[in-house]
Amino acid sequence: MRLGWKLRSNLVGWVLGILTVAFLAYQWLPILTLGLLSFAGPTGGTTFPMNGVSFHWYEELWQASVMNDFKPPLLRSSLLAAACALTTIVLSVMAAQAMRGKFRGNSAFFYLMLLGIMAPGILVGFGFAIMMRLLGVELSWNTTTFLVHVSWTLPFGFLTMLAVFNRFDSRIEEAALTLGASRITTFRRITLPLILPGVIGAGLFGFSLSYDEYPRSMFTTGPDQTLPLAVMGQLDRQLTPEIYAIGTTTTVFSLIAVLLCTSALWAMRRSTSYRKT
Amino acid sequence: MSTIRVRSAASYWLAVPAAIWMLGVVVVPILLLGWVSLWGGRSFSPASPLTFDNYTKFFANKTYLQLVLTTVTHTVGLMAVTGVIGYAIAYFMTMKVRHSAWRLVLFLAFVVPFWTSALIRGIAWVPFLGVNGVINQALMFTGATHSPIEAFLYSRFGISMAQASLYTMMAAGPVIYMLNSIAPQLREAAMTLKAPPLVVFWRIVLPLTLPGVVIGQVLVFLNVMADFATVATVGGNKHAMLPNLVLLFYEGSQHRAASVVAVLLMACMLIGVVAAMKVVDIRRLGAER
Repeated sequence: MRLGWKLRSNLVGWVLGILTVAFLAYQWLPILTLGLLSFAGPTGGTTFPMNGVSFHWYEELWQASVMNDFKPPLLRSSLLAAACALTTIVLSVMAAQAMRGKFRGNSAFFYLMLLGIMAPGILVGFGFAIMMRLLGVELSWNTTTFLVHVSWTLPFGFLTMLAVFNRFDSRIEEAALTLGASRITTFRRITLPLILPGVIGAGLFGFSLSYDEYPRSMFTTGPDQTLPLAVMGQLDRQLTPEIYAIGTTTTVFSLIAVLLCTSALWAMRRSTSYRKT
Repeated sequence: MSTIRVRSAASYWLAVPAAIWMLGVVVVPILLLGWVSLWGGRSFSPASPLTFDNYTKFFANKTYLQLVLTTVTHTVGLMAVTGVIGYAIAYFMTMKVRHSAWRLVLFLAFVVPFWTSALIRGIAWVPFLGVNGVINQALMFTGATHSPIEAFLYSRFGISMAQASLYTMMAAGPVIYMLNSIAPQLREAAMTLKAPPLVVFWRIVLPLTLPGVVIGQVLVFLNVMADFATVATVGGNKHAMLPNLVLLFYEGSQHRAASVVAVLLMACMLIGVVAAMKVVDIRRLGAER
Protein backbone atom coordinates (compact mmCIF):
# COMPACT_ATOMS: atom_id res chain seq x y z
CA MET A 1 0.00 0.00 0.00
CA ARG A 2 1.33 3.42 -0.90
CA LEU A 3 1.03 6.00 1.81
CA GLY A 4 -0.16 9.49 0.94
CA TRP A 5 2.64 12.08 0.78
CA LYS A 6 1.14 14.11 3.59
CA LEU A 7 1.15 11.12 5.91
CA ARG A 8 4.68 10.27 4.91
CA SER A 9 5.78 13.86 5.51
CA ASN A 10 4.20 13.72 8.96
CA LEU A 11 5.90 10.42 9.63
CA VAL A 12 9.29 11.84 8.66
CA GLY A 13 8.56 14.80 10.89
CA TRP A 14 7.84 12.53 13.85
CA VAL A 15 10.92 10.39 13.32
CA LEU A 16 13.18 13.42 13.01
CA GLY A 17 11.45 15.08 15.96
CA ILE A 18 12.00 12.08 18.22
CA LEU A 19 15.63 11.95 17.11
CA THR A 20 16.06 15.65 17.86
CA VAL A 21 14.54 15.42 21.33
CA ALA A 22 16.54 12.28 22.07
CA PHE A 23 19.73 14.01 21.06
CA LEU A 24 18.81 17.05 23.15
CA ALA A 25 18.46 14.76 26.16
CA TYR A 26 21.75 13.09 25.25
CA GLN A 27 23.46 16.46 25.19
CA TRP A 28 21.95 17.79 28.42
CA LEU A 29 21.73 14.72 30.68
CA PRO A 30 25.45 14.55 31.53
CA ILE A 31 25.47 18.24 32.49
CA LEU A 32 22.36 17.79 34.63
CA THR A 33 23.80 14.65 36.24
CA LEU A 34 26.93 16.60 37.06
CA GLY A 35 24.81 19.27 38.71
CA LEU A 36 22.79 16.72 40.66
CA LEU A 37 25.79 14.73 41.90
CA SER A 38 27.50 17.89 43.13
CA PHE A 39 24.88 18.01 45.88
CA ALA A 40 25.82 14.57 47.22
CA GLY A 41 26.30 14.07 50.95
CA PRO A 42 29.75 14.17 52.64
CA THR A 43 30.24 10.44 52.09
CA GLY A 44 28.89 10.68 48.56
CA GLY A 45 30.69 8.91 45.79
CA THR A 46 31.13 10.10 42.25
CA THR A 47 28.12 8.26 40.87
CA PHE A 48 24.58 7.21 41.75
CA PRO A 49 23.03 6.30 44.14
CA MET A 50 23.66 9.58 45.95
CA ASN A 51 24.53 9.25 49.64
CA GLY A 52 22.32 11.98 50.99
CA VAL A 53 21.85 15.54 49.87
CA SER A 54 24.00 18.39 51.11
CA PHE A 55 26.04 21.44 50.22
CA HIS A 56 29.11 19.70 51.63
CA TRP A 57 31.12 19.80 48.42
CA TYR A 58 30.33 23.45 47.86
CA GLU A 59 31.47 24.20 51.41
CA GLU A 60 34.60 22.21 50.69
CA LEU A 61 35.10 24.35 47.63
CA TRP A 62 34.71 27.51 49.66
CA GLN A 63 37.04 26.49 52.53
CA ALA A 64 39.48 24.72 50.26
CA SER A 65 43.05 24.04 51.31
CA VAL A 66 46.05 25.27 49.37
CA MET A 67 46.18 22.16 47.21
CA ASN A 68 42.77 22.43 45.64
CA ASP A 69 41.77 26.04 46.19
CA PHE A 70 39.82 27.07 43.14
CA LYS A 71 39.31 30.70 44.12
CA PRO A 72 42.62 32.18 42.86
CA PRO A 73 42.37 30.30 39.51
CA LEU A 74 38.77 31.49 39.19
CA LEU A 75 39.86 35.07 39.74
CA ARG A 76 42.71 34.73 37.23
CA SER A 77 40.48 33.17 34.60
CA SER A 78 37.87 35.90 35.01
CA LEU A 79 40.41 38.72 34.74
CA LEU A 80 42.06 37.06 31.75
CA ALA A 81 38.71 36.56 30.03
CA ALA A 82 37.74 40.20 30.61
CA ALA A 83 41.05 41.39 29.17
CA CYS A 84 40.61 39.10 26.17
CA ALA A 85 37.06 40.37 25.61
CA LEU A 86 38.22 44.01 25.54
CA THR A 87 41.19 43.30 23.27
CA THR A 88 39.01 41.21 20.96
CA ILE A 89 36.45 44.00 20.66
CA VAL A 90 39.00 46.67 19.78
CA LEU A 91 41.08 44.60 17.38
CA SER A 92 38.19 42.88 15.62
CA VAL A 93 36.29 46.13 14.98
CA MET A 94 39.49 47.65 13.60
CA ALA A 95 40.19 44.61 11.42
CA ALA A 96 36.64 44.34 10.10
CA GLN A 97 36.58 48.06 9.32
CA ALA A 98 39.89 47.56 7.50
CA MET A 99 38.32 44.77 5.43
CA ARG A 100 35.66 47.23 4.25
CA GLY A 101 38.52 49.35 2.91
CA LYS A 102 39.61 46.38 0.73
CA PHE A 103 43.30 47.07 1.40
CA ARG A 104 45.87 45.19 -0.63
CA GLY A 105 46.34 41.70 0.66
CA ASN A 106 42.94 41.64 2.37
CA SER A 107 42.21 38.09 1.24
CA ALA A 108 45.54 36.87 2.66
CA PHE A 109 44.60 38.69 5.88
CA PHE A 110 41.23 36.91 5.92
CA TYR A 111 42.90 33.52 5.62
CA LEU A 112 45.39 34.48 8.33
CA MET A 113 42.49 35.09 10.70
CA LEU A 114 40.81 31.87 9.61
CA LEU A 115 44.03 30.03 10.40
CA GLY A 116 43.66 31.17 14.01
CA ILE A 117 40.38 29.25 14.22
CA MET A 118 41.58 26.21 12.33
CA ALA A 119 45.00 25.75 13.93
CA PRO A 120 44.53 23.32 16.83
CA GLY A 121 45.02 24.84 20.27
CA ILE A 122 47.45 22.19 21.38
CA LEU A 123 49.83 23.03 18.51
CA VAL A 124 49.56 26.79 18.94
CA GLY A 125 50.16 26.46 22.66
CA PHE A 126 53.05 24.05 22.24
CA GLY A 127 54.69 26.09 19.46
CA PHE A 128 54.34 29.31 21.40
CA ALA A 129 55.80 27.70 24.53
CA ILE A 130 58.83 26.52 22.52
CA MET A 131 59.21 30.00 21.04
CA MET A 132 59.11 31.61 24.49
CA ARG A 133 61.65 29.08 25.73
CA LEU A 134 64.04 29.90 22.91
CA LEU A 135 63.54 33.61 23.52
CA GLY A 136 64.02 33.09 27.26
CA VAL A 137 60.67 34.60 28.22
CA GLU A 138 59.13 33.56 31.54
CA LEU A 139 55.66 31.98 31.17
CA SER A 140 52.82 33.61 33.06
CA TRP A 141 49.04 33.63 32.94
CA ASN A 142 48.80 37.40 32.46
CA THR A 143 51.41 37.73 29.71
CA THR A 144 51.99 34.66 27.53
CA THR A 145 48.58 33.10 28.16
CA PHE A 146 46.92 36.41 27.35
CA LEU A 147 48.78 36.66 24.02
CA VAL A 148 47.80 33.12 23.03
CA HIS A 149 44.16 33.46 24.15
CA VAL A 150 43.61 36.58 22.07
CA SER A 151 44.92 34.76 18.99
CA TRP A 152 42.05 32.32 19.60
CA THR A 153 39.26 34.78 20.46
CA LEU A 154 40.16 37.48 17.91
CA PRO A 155 39.20 35.50 14.75
CA PHE A 156 35.76 34.75 16.19
CA GLY A 157 35.20 38.42 16.97
CA PHE A 158 36.51 39.32 13.53
CA LEU A 159 34.10 36.93 11.74
CA THR A 160 31.23 38.28 13.85
CA MET A 161 32.09 41.85 12.85
CA LEU A 162 32.50 40.85 9.17
CA ALA A 163 29.01 39.34 9.22
CA VAL A 164 27.67 42.51 10.86
CA PHE A 165 29.30 44.76 8.26
CA ASN A 166 28.07 42.50 5.43
CA ARG A 167 24.52 43.38 6.40
CA PHE A 168 25.33 46.98 7.21
CA ASP A 169 23.57 49.66 5.15
CA SER A 170 26.37 52.10 4.34
CA ARG A 171 23.91 54.61 2.85
CA ILE A 172 23.31 55.75 6.42
CA GLU A 173 26.99 56.62 6.69
CA GLU A 174 26.82 58.34 3.31
CA ALA A 175 24.01 60.54 4.57
CA ALA A 176 26.09 61.66 7.55
CA LEU A 177 29.17 62.23 5.39
CA THR A 178 27.32 64.30 2.80
CA LEU A 179 25.91 66.40 5.62
CA GLY A 180 29.49 67.32 6.45
CA ALA A 181 30.41 65.01 9.32
CA SER A 182 34.01 63.83 9.34
CA ARG A 183 34.76 60.12 8.91
CA ILE A 184 35.74 59.77 12.57
CA THR A 185 32.60 61.52 13.78
CA THR A 186 30.42 59.46 11.46
CA PHE A 187 31.98 56.27 12.72
CA ARG A 188 31.59 57.28 16.35
CA ARG A 189 28.07 58.71 16.15
CA ILE A 190 26.45 56.63 13.37
CA THR A 191 28.33 53.41 12.65
CA LEU A 192 29.29 52.37 16.17
CA PRO A 193 25.81 52.58 17.72
CA LEU A 194 24.41 50.54 14.81
CA ILE A 195 26.97 47.76 15.08
CA LEU A 196 26.90 47.72 18.90
CA PRO A 197 25.00 44.40 19.20
CA GLY A 198 27.69 42.78 17.05
CA VAL A 199 30.39 44.38 19.17
CA ILE A 200 28.83 42.91 22.31
CA GLY A 201 28.65 39.54 20.57
CA ALA A 202 32.35 39.77 19.73
CA GLY A 203 33.09 40.59 23.37
CA LEU A 204 31.01 37.65 24.54
CA PHE A 205 33.00 35.36 22.26
CA GLY A 206 36.20 36.84 23.66
CA PHE A 207 35.14 36.30 27.24
CA SER A 208 33.73 32.81 27.08
CA LEU A 209 36.31 31.33 24.71
CA SER A 210 39.13 32.56 26.90
CA TYR A 211 37.41 31.61 30.15
CA ASP A 212 36.95 28.00 29.02
CA GLU A 213 40.21 27.58 27.12
CA TYR A 214 42.30 24.60 28.16
CA PRO A 215 44.75 23.43 25.43
CA ARG A 216 46.25 26.87 24.74
CA SER A 217 46.70 27.54 28.45
CA MET A 218 48.26 24.19 29.19
CA PHE A 219 51.69 24.96 27.76
CA THR A 220 51.81 28.71 28.25
CA THR A 221 50.64 29.43 31.77
CA GLY A 222 53.50 28.85 34.15
CA PRO A 223 53.05 28.25 37.91
CA ASP A 224 49.86 30.29 38.55
CA GLN A 225 47.11 28.24 36.94
CA THR A 226 43.87 29.28 35.30
CA LEU A 227 40.59 27.58 36.21
CA PRO A 228 40.45 24.84 33.51
CA LEU A 229 44.03 23.88 34.37
CA ALA A 230 43.19 23.68 38.07
CA VAL A 231 40.12 21.55 37.34
CA MET A 232 42.13 19.17 35.16
CA GLY A 233 44.87 19.00 37.79
CA GLN A 234 42.35 18.05 40.45
CA LEU A 235 40.84 15.43 38.13
CA ASP A 236 44.28 13.88 37.69
CA ARG A 237 44.76 13.66 41.46
CA GLN A 238 41.36 12.40 42.50
CA LEU A 239 37.81 12.38 41.19
CA THR A 240 35.59 13.74 43.95
CA PRO A 241 32.18 15.43 43.89
CA GLU A 242 34.17 18.62 44.47
CA ILE A 243 35.02 18.60 40.77
CA TYR A 244 31.32 18.32 40.04
CA ALA A 245 30.71 21.29 42.32
CA ILE A 246 33.28 23.46 40.57
CA GLY A 247 32.00 22.25 37.18
CA THR A 248 28.45 23.16 38.10
CA THR A 249 29.55 26.54 39.44
CA THR A 250 31.43 27.55 36.29
CA THR A 251 28.64 26.24 34.05
CA VAL A 252 26.09 28.34 35.91
CA PHE A 253 28.51 31.25 35.72
CA SER A 254 28.79 30.88 31.93
CA LEU A 255 25.04 30.54 31.52
CA ILE A 256 24.43 33.71 33.51
CA ALA A 257 26.93 35.59 31.33
CA VAL A 258 25.19 34.38 28.14
CA LEU A 259 21.78 35.23 29.59
CA LEU A 260 22.86 38.76 30.52
CA CYS A 261 24.33 39.43 27.10
CA THR A 262 21.41 38.03 25.12
CA SER A 263 18.93 39.98 27.19
CA ALA A 264 21.03 43.11 26.65
CA LEU A 265 20.98 42.45 22.89
CA TRP A 266 17.27 41.80 22.97
CA ALA A 267 16.54 44.99 24.90
CA MET A 268 18.73 46.93 22.49
CA ARG A 269 17.00 45.51 19.42
CA ARG A 270 13.64 46.28 20.97
CA SER A 271 14.56 49.86 21.67
CA THR A 272 15.95 50.44 18.14
CA SER A 273 12.95 48.85 16.43
CA TYR A 274 10.71 50.95 18.63
CA ARG A 275 12.47 54.06 17.41
CA LYS A 276 11.98 53.05 13.79
CA THR A 277 8.21 52.69 14.00
CA MET B 1 31.21 56.20 0.20
CA SER B 2 31.59 54.95 3.72
CA THR B 3 33.56 55.69 6.86
CA ILE B 4 36.59 54.09 5.27
CA ARG B 5 38.04 54.93 1.86
CA VAL B 6 38.68 51.97 -0.41
CA ARG B 7 42.36 51.04 -0.62
CA SER B 8 43.30 53.88 1.72
CA ALA B 9 46.37 53.81 3.96
CA ALA B 10 44.03 53.90 6.96
CA SER B 11 42.41 50.59 6.02
CA TYR B 12 45.84 49.03 5.78
CA TRP B 13 47.03 50.32 9.15
CA LEU B 14 43.82 49.26 10.89
CA ALA B 15 44.55 45.66 9.95
CA VAL B 16 48.20 45.72 11.02
CA PRO B 17 47.80 45.05 14.80
CA ALA B 18 45.58 42.01 14.28
CA ALA B 19 47.87 40.71 11.53
CA ILE B 20 51.00 41.05 13.68
CA TRP B 21 49.25 39.36 16.60
CA MET B 22 48.16 36.38 14.50
CA LEU B 23 51.51 36.07 12.76
CA GLY B 24 53.49 36.23 15.98
CA VAL B 25 51.32 33.87 18.03
CA VAL B 26 49.99 31.40 15.45
CA VAL B 27 52.05 31.36 12.25
CA VAL B 28 55.59 31.79 13.58
CA PRO B 29 55.22 29.20 16.40
CA ILE B 30 53.80 26.61 14.01
CA LEU B 31 56.60 27.21 11.49
CA LEU B 32 58.99 27.01 14.42
CA LEU B 33 57.63 23.54 15.24
CA GLY B 34 58.44 22.48 11.69
CA TRP B 35 62.00 23.71 12.17
CA VAL B 36 62.43 22.16 15.62
CA SER B 37 61.20 18.80 14.30
CA LEU B 38 64.27 18.73 12.04
CA TRP B 39 66.82 19.42 14.78
CA GLY B 40 69.42 16.74 15.26
CA GLY B 41 72.25 16.48 17.75
CA ARG B 42 72.03 16.24 21.51
CA SER B 43 71.37 19.76 22.75
CA PHE B 44 68.11 21.60 22.26
CA SER B 45 69.29 24.74 20.51
CA PRO B 46 68.90 26.53 17.15
CA ALA B 47 72.52 25.60 16.41
CA SER B 48 71.53 21.94 15.96
CA PRO B 49 72.25 20.31 12.61
CA LEU B 50 69.16 19.60 10.50
CA THR B 51 68.24 15.96 9.85
CA PHE B 52 65.22 13.81 9.13
CA ASP B 53 66.24 11.45 11.95
CA ASN B 54 63.31 12.41 14.17
CA TYR B 55 60.89 11.50 11.40
CA THR B 56 62.55 8.21 10.51
CA LYS B 57 62.53 7.30 14.20
CA PHE B 58 58.81 8.06 14.39
CA PHE B 59 57.90 6.14 11.24
CA ALA B 60 60.04 3.16 12.26
CA ASN B 61 57.72 2.62 15.24
CA LYS B 62 54.69 0.52 14.30
CA THR B 63 52.74 1.63 17.39
CA TYR B 64 52.94 5.29 16.36
CA LEU B 65 51.89 4.52 12.79
CA GLN B 66 48.94 2.58 14.14
CA LEU B 67 48.09 5.62 16.26
CA VAL B 68 48.00 7.89 13.19
CA LEU B 69 45.66 5.43 11.49
CA THR B 70 43.47 5.11 14.60
CA THR B 71 43.18 8.88 14.93
CA VAL B 72 42.12 9.30 11.31
CA THR B 73 39.59 6.45 11.30
CA HIS B 74 38.18 7.57 14.65
CA THR B 75 37.74 11.09 13.25
CA VAL B 76 36.13 9.90 10.01
CA GLY B 77 33.73 7.72 11.98
CA LEU B 78 32.67 10.65 14.14
CA MET B 79 32.29 12.85 11.05
CA ALA B 80 29.85 10.31 9.61
CA VAL B 81 27.82 10.01 12.82
CA THR B 82 27.68 13.74 13.60
CA GLY B 83 27.02 14.52 9.92
CA VAL B 84 23.93 12.30 9.69
CA ILE B 85 22.48 13.19 13.11
CA GLY B 86 23.35 16.86 12.62
CA TYR B 87 21.63 17.00 9.24
CA ALA B 88 18.52 15.29 10.61
CA ILE B 89 18.32 17.77 13.49
CA ALA B 90 18.93 20.73 11.20
CA TYR B 91 16.25 19.54 8.78
CA PHE B 92 13.75 19.03 11.57
CA MET B 93 14.38 22.43 13.11
CA THR B 94 14.12 24.42 9.90
CA MET B 95 11.58 22.46 7.86
CA LYS B 96 9.36 20.65 10.35
CA VAL B 97 9.04 23.07 13.26
CA ARG B 98 6.45 25.59 12.13
CA HIS B 99 6.28 27.97 15.08
CA SER B 100 9.23 30.33 15.20
CA ALA B 101 9.05 30.46 19.01
CA TRP B 102 9.55 26.70 19.25
CA ARG B 103 12.38 26.92 16.74
CA LEU B 104 14.08 29.53 18.94
CA VAL B 105 13.63 27.42 22.08
CA LEU B 106 15.12 24.36 20.35
CA PHE B 107 17.95 26.39 18.92
CA LEU B 108 18.83 27.86 22.32
CA ALA B 109 18.61 24.44 23.97
CA PHE B 110 21.18 23.18 21.48
CA VAL B 111 23.46 26.20 21.46
CA VAL B 112 23.60 27.15 25.15
CA PRO B 113 25.96 24.27 26.12
CA PHE B 114 28.41 25.70 23.61
CA TRP B 115 28.96 28.65 25.90
CA THR B 116 30.02 26.36 28.71
CA SER B 117 33.36 24.66 29.08
CA ALA B 118 33.98 21.69 26.78
CA LEU B 119 36.33 20.35 29.44
CA ILE B 120 33.55 20.29 32.04
CA ARG B 121 31.18 18.72 29.54
CA GLY B 122 33.77 16.03 28.89
CA ILE B 123 34.16 15.41 32.63
CA ALA B 124 30.36 15.24 32.94
CA TRP B 125 30.46 12.04 30.90
CA VAL B 126 32.60 10.25 33.49
CA PRO B 127 29.81 9.54 36.04
CA PHE B 128 27.63 8.62 33.09
CA LEU B 129 29.77 5.93 31.55
CA GLY B 130 31.43 4.14 34.49
CA VAL B 131 30.74 0.61 35.70
CA ASN B 132 28.33 2.05 38.30
CA GLY B 133 27.44 4.84 35.92
CA VAL B 134 24.05 6.10 34.89
CA ILE B 135 23.92 4.17 31.61
CA ASN B 136 24.78 0.86 33.23
CA GLN B 137 22.29 1.41 36.03
CA ALA B 138 19.61 2.24 33.50
CA LEU B 139 20.45 -0.84 31.43
CA MET B 140 20.38 -3.10 34.47
CA PHE B 141 17.18 -1.51 35.77
CA THR B 142 15.40 -2.21 32.49
CA GLY B 143 16.86 -5.71 32.45
CA ALA B 144 18.80 -5.22 29.23
CA THR B 145 21.91 -6.63 30.91
CA HIS B 146 22.52 -8.44 34.19
CA SER B 147 26.08 -7.40 34.84
CA PRO B 148 27.39 -3.88 34.17
CA ILE B 149 29.13 -3.29 30.86
CA GLU B 150 32.69 -2.15 31.39
CA ALA B 151 33.14 -1.07 27.79
CA PHE B 152 31.79 2.46 28.27
CA LEU B 153 34.30 4.36 30.38
CA TYR B 154 37.96 4.29 29.38
CA SER B 155 37.14 3.01 25.89
CA ARG B 156 37.06 4.30 22.32
CA PHE B 157 33.29 3.83 22.37
CA GLY B 158 32.90 6.05 25.43
CA ILE B 159 35.16 8.69 23.87
CA SER B 160 33.03 8.62 20.74
CA MET B 161 29.83 8.99 22.77
CA ALA B 162 31.15 12.05 24.57
CA GLN B 163 32.56 13.61 21.40
CA ALA B 164 29.32 13.03 19.50
CA SER B 165 27.49 15.04 22.15
CA LEU B 166 30.14 17.76 22.02
CA TYR B 167 30.43 18.19 18.25
CA THR B 168 27.17 17.23 16.55
CA MET B 169 25.89 20.81 16.69
CA MET B 170 29.02 21.94 14.86
CA ALA B 171 27.90 19.74 11.97
CA ALA B 172 24.30 20.94 12.27
CA GLY B 173 24.86 24.70 12.63
CA PRO B 174 26.08 25.48 9.09
CA VAL B 175 23.35 23.21 7.64
CA ILE B 176 20.69 25.14 9.58
CA TYR B 177 22.11 28.35 8.12
CA MET B 178 22.01 26.98 4.56
CA LEU B 179 18.52 25.47 4.95
CA ASN B 180 17.21 28.80 6.17
CA SER B 181 18.55 30.54 3.08
CA ILE B 182 16.67 28.26 0.63
CA ALA B 183 13.74 30.18 -0.82
CA PRO B 184 10.49 28.27 -0.10
CA GLN B 185 9.39 28.98 -3.67
CA LEU B 186 12.06 26.60 -4.95
CA ARG B 187 10.56 23.63 -3.14
CA GLU B 188 7.03 24.76 -3.99
CA ALA B 189 7.97 24.97 -7.67
CA ALA B 190 9.40 21.47 -7.64
CA MET B 191 6.35 20.13 -5.83
CA THR B 192 3.95 21.86 -8.23
CA LEU B 193 5.80 20.13 -11.03
CA LYS B 194 4.94 16.85 -9.29
CA ALA B 195 8.37 15.90 -7.98
CA PRO B 196 8.04 13.35 -5.16
CA PRO B 197 9.32 14.63 -1.76
CA LEU B 198 12.39 12.43 -1.87
CA VAL B 199 13.34 13.81 -5.29
CA VAL B 200 12.81 17.37 -4.04
CA PHE B 201 15.15 16.63 -1.18
CA TRP B 202 17.75 14.86 -3.29
CA ARG B 203 17.78 17.24 -6.27
CA ILE B 204 16.98 20.61 -4.66
CA VAL B 205 17.52 20.73 -0.89
CA LEU B 206 20.62 18.58 -0.51
CA PRO B 207 22.70 20.26 -3.27
CA LEU B 208 21.82 23.70 -1.91
CA THR B 209 22.88 22.76 1.62
CA LEU B 210 26.04 20.96 0.54
CA PRO B 211 28.35 23.90 1.41
CA GLY B 212 26.88 23.85 4.93
CA VAL B 213 27.48 20.12 5.20
CA VAL B 214 31.10 20.54 4.10
CA ILE B 215 31.78 23.40 6.53
CA GLY B 216 30.22 21.40 9.35
CA GLN B 217 32.33 18.38 8.49
CA VAL B 218 35.47 20.53 8.45
CA LEU B 219 34.63 21.87 11.91
CA VAL B 220 34.04 18.37 13.29
CA PHE B 221 37.18 17.07 11.59
CA LEU B 222 39.40 19.81 13.02
CA ASN B 223 37.94 19.57 16.49
CA VAL B 224 38.02 15.80 16.82
CA MET B 225 41.52 15.54 15.37
CA ALA B 226 42.82 18.00 17.96
CA ASP B 227 40.64 16.92 20.90
CA PHE B 228 42.93 15.39 23.49
CA ALA B 229 41.03 16.63 26.55
CA THR B 230 38.00 14.38 26.04
CA VAL B 231 40.29 11.49 25.19
CA ALA B 232 42.19 12.09 28.42
CA THR B 233 39.14 12.52 30.70
CA VAL B 234 36.84 9.85 29.27
CA GLY B 235 39.52 7.56 27.83
CA GLY B 236 41.73 7.60 30.90
CA ASN B 237 45.37 6.69 30.45
CA LYS B 238 44.54 3.68 28.32
CA HIS B 239 43.70 5.55 25.17
CA ALA B 240 45.56 8.09 23.13
CA MET B 241 45.19 9.93 19.86
CA LEU B 242 47.82 11.93 17.99
CA PRO B 243 47.43 15.14 20.07
CA ASN B 244 47.80 13.11 23.28
CA LEU B 245 51.12 11.89 21.92
CA VAL B 246 52.27 15.52 21.58
CA LEU B 247 51.45 16.01 25.24
CA LEU B 248 53.12 12.77 26.26
CA PHE B 249 56.37 13.66 24.50
CA TYR B 250 56.22 17.21 25.86
CA GLU B 251 55.85 15.99 29.43
CA GLY B 252 58.82 13.70 28.83
CA SER B 253 60.82 16.73 27.64
CA GLN B 254 61.14 15.14 24.20
CA HIS B 255 60.44 18.39 22.41
CA ARG B 256 61.72 17.25 19.03
CA ALA B 257 59.57 14.12 19.00
CA ALA B 258 56.59 16.21 20.11
CA SER B 259 57.29 18.60 17.22
CA VAL B 260 57.33 15.71 14.74
CA VAL B 261 53.88 14.59 15.91
CA ALA B 262 52.68 18.21 15.83
CA VAL B 263 53.85 18.60 12.23
CA LEU B 264 52.13 15.36 11.21
CA LEU B 265 48.92 16.43 12.92
CA MET B 266 49.04 19.81 11.18
CA ALA B 267 49.69 18.10 7.83
CA CYS B 268 46.65 15.82 8.25
CA MET B 269 44.50 18.82 9.07
CA LEU B 270 45.79 20.91 6.17
CA ILE B 271 45.04 18.09 3.73
CA GLY B 272 41.50 17.89 5.07
CA VAL B 273 40.87 21.63 4.93
CA VAL B 274 42.35 22.06 1.45
CA ALA B 275 40.21 19.19 0.17
CA ALA B 276 37.12 20.87 1.64
CA MET B 277 38.04 24.29 0.21
CA LYS B 278 38.07 22.72 -3.25
CA VAL B 279 34.36 22.04 -2.75
CA VAL B 280 33.13 25.32 -1.24
CA ASP B 281 34.24 28.92 -1.12
CA ILE B 282 34.05 29.82 2.57
CA ARG B 283 34.22 33.54 1.90
CA ARG B 284 30.91 33.62 0.06
CA LEU B 285 28.96 32.30 3.01
CA GLY B 286 28.72 35.45 5.08
CA ALA B 287 27.66 37.59 2.11
CA GLU B 288 24.12 38.78 1.55
CA ARG B 289 22.29 36.81 -1.09
